[in-house]
Amino acid sequence: MLTRAAMRVASRGASAAALTPARHMSGATTGLLGGNNAVGDIFTPTEDHKQLREMVRAFTKAEVEPQALEHHRDEKFNLPLFRKLGDLGLLGITADPNHGGSGMDATAAVIAHEELSASDPSFCLSYLAHSMLFVNNLSVNGTEDQKARILPSACAGQTIGGMCMSEPGAGTDVMGMSTRATRDGDDYVINGAKMWITNGAVSDTELGDHFVVYARTGDKGGASDLSLFLVEKGMPGFSLGQRIKDKCGMRASYTAELVFEDVRVPAATHLVGGPDREGKAVLSMMRNLELERLTLAAMSLGIARRSIEAMNAYARDRKAFGSSLNRFGQIQRLIADSYAEYAAGKAYVYATASALGLDSAGNRVDSDGVKLYCAAMAKNVADRAMQTMGGYGYCGEYRVEQLWRDAKLLEIGGGTNEAHQKNMARDLSHVETLP
Amino acid sequence: MRVFVGVKRAVDYAAKVRIQADKKAVDISNVKMAINPFCEIAVEEAVRLKEKKVAEEVVAVSIGPKQAQEVIRQALAMGADRGIHVTTDMRVDQELQPLAVAKIMAALTGEHDPSAWLLGKQAIDDDSNQVAQMLAGLLDWPQATFASEVEVSEDKKSATVTREIDGGLQTIEVPLPAVISADLRLNEPRYATLPNIMKAKKKKIDTVDAASLGVDLAGQIEVLEVSEPATREAGSKVEDVDALLAKLKADGLL
Repeated sequence: MLTRAAMRVASRGASAAALTPARHMSGATTGLLGGNNAVGDIFTPTEDHKQLREMVRAFTKAEVEPQALEHHRDEKFNLPLFRKLGDLGLLGITADPNHGGSGMDATAAVIAHEELSASDPSFCLSYLAHSMLFVNNLSVNGTEDQKARILPSACAGQTIGGMCMSEPGAGTDVMGMSTRATRDGDDYVINGAKMWITNGAVSDTELGDHFVVYARTGDKGGASDLSLFLVEKGMPGFSLGQRIKDKCGMRASYTAELVFEDVRVPAATHLVGGPDREGKAVLSMMRNLELERLTLAAMSLGIARRSIEAMNAYARDRKAFGSSLNRFGQIQRLIADSYAEYAAGKAYVYATASALGLDSAGNRVDSDGVKLYCAAMAKNVADRAMQTMGGYGYCGEYRVEQLWRDAKLLEIGGGTNEAHQKNMARDLSHVETLP
Repeated sequence: MRVFVGVKRAVDYAAKVRIQADKKAVDISNVKMAINPFCEIAVEEAVRLKEKKVAEEVVAVSIGPKQAQEVIRQALAMGADRGIHVTTDMRVDQELQPLAVAKIMAALTGEHDPSAWLLGKQAIDDDSNQVAQMLAGLLDWPQATFASEVEVSEDKKSATVTREIDGGLQTIEVPLPAVISADLRLNEPRYATLPNIMKAKKKKIDTVDAASLGVDLAGQIEVLEVSEPATREAGSKVEDVDALLAKLKADGLL
């Protein structure tokens, strides 16, 4: 494999070839949305964001891309590569800098997810579950003690975390969850099962390290019924139910069912935010769901960008009836519609990110809206890429069929389309005029 | 010891470049720019010298318009301690030429007293490969160009440098101070990590006007025309070796 520097020098040629306008090189993005690399627009608010994007893009190209197809085929999570994200400061991208985090904002999180997903959405999904659902959740909602104990190793990639909300019998109807935490002296005793937990396992038999777990602590039938607990590998009664295999997409990310049988957690230390937070988890849930949905939408952008690049190059190079495919109206429609929808989604995602505080709730219409729009957009764009590329597009080696399958998850995970529609219609029902 | 590293902002290796309508230069308006890859290798080597406690201070120097600060920031995020930005509005890919660059660096040397200059062997825009050699000449320092390995002696009075030459590898010892230029295989540059990107913001960049250094900045070479490489024409196939030889002879190539 060429080194990074070698790739750069070789592809330019350290000679007069520096002036060669090679047809297959990416580059001339001037005039396209966000293509001017100008610091100060919504895609690159500061110099830090610019350097972040350059760093993640270079890392993705050199280290994520070459392993993606193989890990996808083998349904294998790349744990060593994941730990490297810790060295780069990406695992704690939004987390408290006093506890090993990088202290950046929602736009930075969007940039990281967009770039990683352009090569490997399932690797990015594991990153999202760890960095957004676990690390950011604890950083925003945890006590200083909890952060000091857990975050440094999680930000460094020494430990892997996840978040447990859905259950075998409750998904969109989150208030219908049945996992229960019962107070017993100084402890809570947790019983139940959680389903579809990304990073729930790191192998066929081994649990992830830390989880934030939503559980029922009351039965009033409202928001005050839910509490958020920290549960760790090795606690008696906490076990791996099953590793869920043969998923349609996101195959290089591990998904698991986790089982809680009389798992005893100390109230003083393992109720997220402190011992007085019983029944107050809904605010943490809302805060974190907004960031989760925003970054899942950012993953859609990476999938769509890659799909458009693939179909655009293929349609230019492939000849039929004596001319390039991109000279045919049918194919022009696939390319142009895809680009316009992608650009619209990108503007929506970055505009929403710039308004999203990590510790605020109240952006639900747009944080649901970006995912509702972008998940379908990415699936449709990947579908058009496959259609453009015909038989090649249908085969794994050309990557777009994988992106198509990965994109489908974004209409289900982190909130189904139907959940977003329900939330948005409810919130919008209080609005008379739109801004 | 104090190590000075040159970092040039050049057209990104992957950017597609066009030629200006007047054919006097490459059109660099709105083209993605980045740190020259060989300069990045030089920065990495300097930072490693610091990590090995050989160097006490690494200073990144860039010459160019205000955007040159971007590549200094990148060097700072990789681990350089501070930066010097020599400002000029001359185009660094052709107006500001190697001799002027070397003279600017020589002027900075007098003022800051570095023990070594680490430079990329060439920049991927003009591909001149001259600055390190000229700087060594101006300073009357030894030069170790095309380095693939750099080892500084314990007393920091000399460096053993492995050079990539046409026939293989050549190992030389140079007394310090010296000018060293980095070849491709010297190292694999690190990524600027997020915490280091944030830390780099607090590091200092001094600004010096190139015109204030008392150096003749005028170019020695006039660019008459820049043109695209000729398009390669399609080749042809021959039946066998005999036909190949006959064709090569017929074309006067043998």
